[in-house]
Amino acid sequence: MGTEITYIDAIREAQSHALRDDPRVFIYGQDVGAFGGAFKATKNLAKEFPGRVLDSPISEDAMVGLAVGAAIEGLRPIIEMQFADFSTVGFNQIVNQAATLFWRTNVPCPITVRLPFGGTSGGGPFHSQCIETIYAHYPGLIVLTPATVEDAYSMLLEGVALDDPVIFCEHKFLYRHLKAEKLPSEALPIGKARIAREGRDLTIVTYSAMVHEALEAATELSGEGWEIEIVDLRSVKPLDTDTVMASVSRTGKLLCVGEAWPWGGVTAEIIARVASEGYGLLDAPPHRLNAKDTPVPYHPNLWTAHRPTARAVAVAARKLLRT
Amino acid sequence: MPHIPIIMPQLGESIAEANIINFLVKARDNVEADQDIIEVETDKATMTVASPCKGKIEKFTAQLNESYAVGATLGQIEATKEEAARLGLDVAPAKIPETEQLSKSDSNRRSGRVQPTVRGLPVPANAAGASYLSPRLKARMDELGLHAADLAGVAGSGAAGRVTVEDFEKYIASLDKHKMSEASSMRVAVADAMRRSWTRPLATVGLPVALDAVLAHRKNSNPKPGPALYALRALAIALAENSAVAGRLVGNKIIHPSAIDVGFAVEAEDGVLVPVLRGADKKSLSELVVRYNELVELARQRKLPADATGGSIATVTNYGTFGLIWATPIPLPEQTLVLGMGAGRRAPNWDEVKKQFVPVMEANLTLSFDHRVLDGGAAGRLLSRIADLMSRPEKL
Amino acid sequence: MLQPVLDDNPAVQTATARDTTLAAFRFMLLARLLDDKFAALYRAGKIHGGVFLARGQEALSASIGISLKKTDVFAPLIRDTAGRLAFGETVLDAVRTYLGSPLGPMRGRDGNVHRGKPQEGYLPMISHLGAMISVVNGVLFARRFKKISGTVGAACIGDGATSTGAFHEALNQAAVEKLPLVLIVADNQYAYSTPTSFQFACENLADKAAGYGVESHSVDGTELSACLETVGKAVARARAGNGPQLVVANLLRLCGHGEHDDASYIDPQVKNSPLGRDCLKVAEVFLLQNKITDAAQIAAWRSEAIREIEEAVAQVQREPAPDPFTENWSAISSGHLSETHEENGN
Repeated sequence: MGTEITYIDAIREAQSHALRDDPRVFIYGQDVGAFGGAFKATKNLAKEFPGRVLDSPISEDAMVGLAVGAAIEGLRPIIEMQFADFSTVGFNQIVNQAATLFWRTNVPCPITVRLPFGGTSGGGPFHSQCIETIYAHYPGLIVLTPATVEDAYSMLLEGVALDDPVIFCEHKFLYRHLKAEKLPSEALPIGKARIAREGRDLTIVTYSAMVHEALEAATELSGEGWEIEIVDLRSVKPLDTDTVMASVSRTGKLLCVGEAWPWGGVTAEIIARVASEGYGLLDAPPHRLNAKDTPVPYHPNLWTAHRPTARAVAVAARKLLRT
Repeated sequence: MPHIPIIMPQLGESIAEANIINFLVKARDNVEADQDIIEVETDKATMTVASPCKGKIEKFTAQLNESYAVGATLGQIEATKEEAARLGLDVAPAKIPETEQLSKSDSNRRSGRVQPTVRGLPVPANAAGASYLSPRLKARMDELGLHAADLAGVAGSGAAGRVTVEDFEKYIASLDKHKMSEASSMRVAVADAMRRSWTRPLATVGLPVALDAVLAHRKNSNPKPGPALYALRALAIALAENSAVAGRLVGNKIIHPSAIDVGFAVEAEDGVLVPVLRGADKKSLSELVVRYNELVELARQRKLPADATGGSIATVTNYGTFGLIWATPIPLPEQTLVLGMGAGRRAPNWDEVKKQFVPVMEANLTLSFDHRVLDGGAAGRLLSRIADLMSRPEKL
Repeated sequence: MLQPVLDDNPAVQTATARDTTLAAFRFMLLARLLDDKFAALYRAGKIHGGVFLARGQEALSASIGISLKKTDVFAPLIRDTAGRLAFGETVLDAVRTYLGSPLGPMRGRDGNVHRGKPQEGYLPMISHLGAMISVVNGVLFARRFKKISGTVGAACIGDGATSTGAFHEALNQAAVEKLPLVLIVADNQYAYSTPTSFQFACENLADKAAGYGVESHSVDGTELSACLETVGKAVARARAGNGPQLVVANLLRLCGHGEHDDASYIDPQVKNSPLGRDCLKVAEVFLLQNKITDAAQIAAWRSEAIREIEEAVAQVQREPAPDPFTENWSAISSGHLSETHEENGN
């Protein structure tokens, strides 16, 4: 264990610092209080900040509604959804109440909704979903998808400080599998993508856990003489088109990778933008790799075939590299 | 005796590892199936690891207070063959299938040499790779003012032999090593015209024509018409009789010419100019000759007025002046026909009446045409008519 | 312009009960005339979108608005013209919203009954019924969090909305958190065309309160004095820390669901029963019979209300329409994070 910080430690630290530095912040969700949260994302925080970390009934709709009311009164609620998959029960309040408040009334809505998202082996259809797309689709929301321990920390802090509703997609697989030496003292701001790996022959644009699959694929391809550039979007809304475009102008080839389903997802959005604004940059058709168009399966054999893995990313990349 | 591994189980969503906090049994102990044998601790809770079967603990490889990942081997149990079979533990667990089998040929190492391949993506689907220009390549070519024709000599390393933007940049860079001279604007203009003309299917037919009558007529004329003018006038008369052959095909319509304006090629510095005789069907040879000679002079000095060029429906070119006996000229991009005349020379012709070869001053007439508008038959008939008209120069 | 008159000094309570009743009546009258105006504008093609009137529900609604303090929080719903005015909304703001004026509180971005001023405790509804209740909970929660005491939150819903999950979750949440929520159900017998027999199976909506562990009150929604008393009591009990109060008022909707609906499905028997009485007429009769005021005064109030409404309409109709080319087409307040899509013109 040592002094390493995991992705979930970073999320806990960020919440702790937010609670400490801003008296308007509070956390509300199921089992977040004394129990510390289903994933222990709020472990010990209720004790350290009495009255600031509160348990809610199983009512995703009312949780978000309460958050909006509190935000109107000037507080900064952090709502922890136990799983992203359950947030759809509170979907109406997120997209029709929180996301429209500023546009309709000019009163900002500074709530943060944390979604434990993404697949882990054995999670099955209702504990694995990546649904950043449906939130990004609605105007009025900021959607964040950190891929690193450092970004999990800095982007959650920055997100809580924003005056707009933030959907914070934290990847469950990365929670304890990803470790860093220390928390960052400075960071790229929300809205800027990061070049996770410099390359020359192909650009992979991706986010969250898929960044790590892409990095592994890139290492494999490097052994074959190809250098892949990887863009970590960090936030899917706003989406840093400039960085993506600059990378494609360097490589001429684009592969978008996402763990979500294919229809109209983040990968489709990137390709639409690049095809429209960067058509003359493409030396080959832009491609994407997503999960299969079915609910997320349960058995590990099916699960590893359902989602993009490093191997699948390498195969997809090779197809494009050979064109 | 089969050795069954003790595996760290999956202990909850997102849990990656656990800490060994207690061994509940020791090596050489007998255990029952499902008996708790190790205590472990995660971030969330304390849990136990159960024995996979009945047997004897052979050894623990895990250490107290150390962390092990989910799926790691923590020790071994000795069990009877029957026990192992009963629990299905004698069959190795099925390997998680790879998404795609890697084959040696798939790795396609990047080498310095260009290796055209027919594998890989047809980019885009159904397009023949070798001629495919990607948007990026097109943009780069537009920047440099180049066309697909300019790529003809460039080797392509992309799918199905297409020229990738990398191949292209290498090619452009390699040109720097060669001696280069500036192409004049005339040269570039002609290059563009010929490139555009060539996008059509062109064919050529030819006919030898006896020039004796023409030469004799010319000798007695003043001013003297150039030999090409005889051909021009004959062409004009023939086209007036049947203008469809000089029409333009646009979609499924043939646009007929509205006037028989015929141009003729004059070599100017680094290129060709084409002055035009308007309504050449309506003026006799003697009426055309002065204007013709004027235009030739103006063209050579590159002082042709605007109304003297453009709008012609066919062109005549006398490539015989270069000593050539045969050529397949290319019609102007906006025209369907070009009539060429080669150098005259004495050739033996069989005289059926005298039953012997007689010397004749012969030249080849070649007609290149857009094969979408007319076929060999019509082209042939046009040439025959021209040859026929030229055999009676006094009627031109 | 009318001002809410309620004073929270108990010593002057009884002395001003008469004033409160008169004030509430004036808001009812103004609301009825304003609704008539909206209906007329709709039939004249001056309003784009739906028009939703509150005919028959003015007594209940006015009672709510007038029982609240300015520092309370109020989430009215579709048939609360009177309550909104009593809580402090101006006729001008209501008209501006219906006519889509960029000078109104919703600036043309939302319309008709979807209006409010969140930072003044007046919450603008969204169309999803039941969704506003938990938002009221949130405001009350925040007041407590900030150690501000004495706030009451009122949320209005209809009989139909009691079937929604949002209603259930929010009432449960308020009960668990012991929030000073007053939830007023205007049971007007119909949710659009659906009668209450298809909406719930319990005998009386007020019975639901026991399931949530909260106090309930029932009232005849056609009677102004009964509404004032019951709502006033519920507000007082909430303010005193007795947790959420469920008020169920029985009345009949005296108009269509919207002005596009002729309400021909309403059972004539119900229309002709005491439930179908017009609360405005009932109140007028009550005030005159008890000599609390006279006909001349009521006529004067009526003319004043009509004049105020007509002036507002005339003013707003001269205001410019929203300009899509100068509109700020960003849905987030963090300007630096806004995405531009030139192909869509923003």
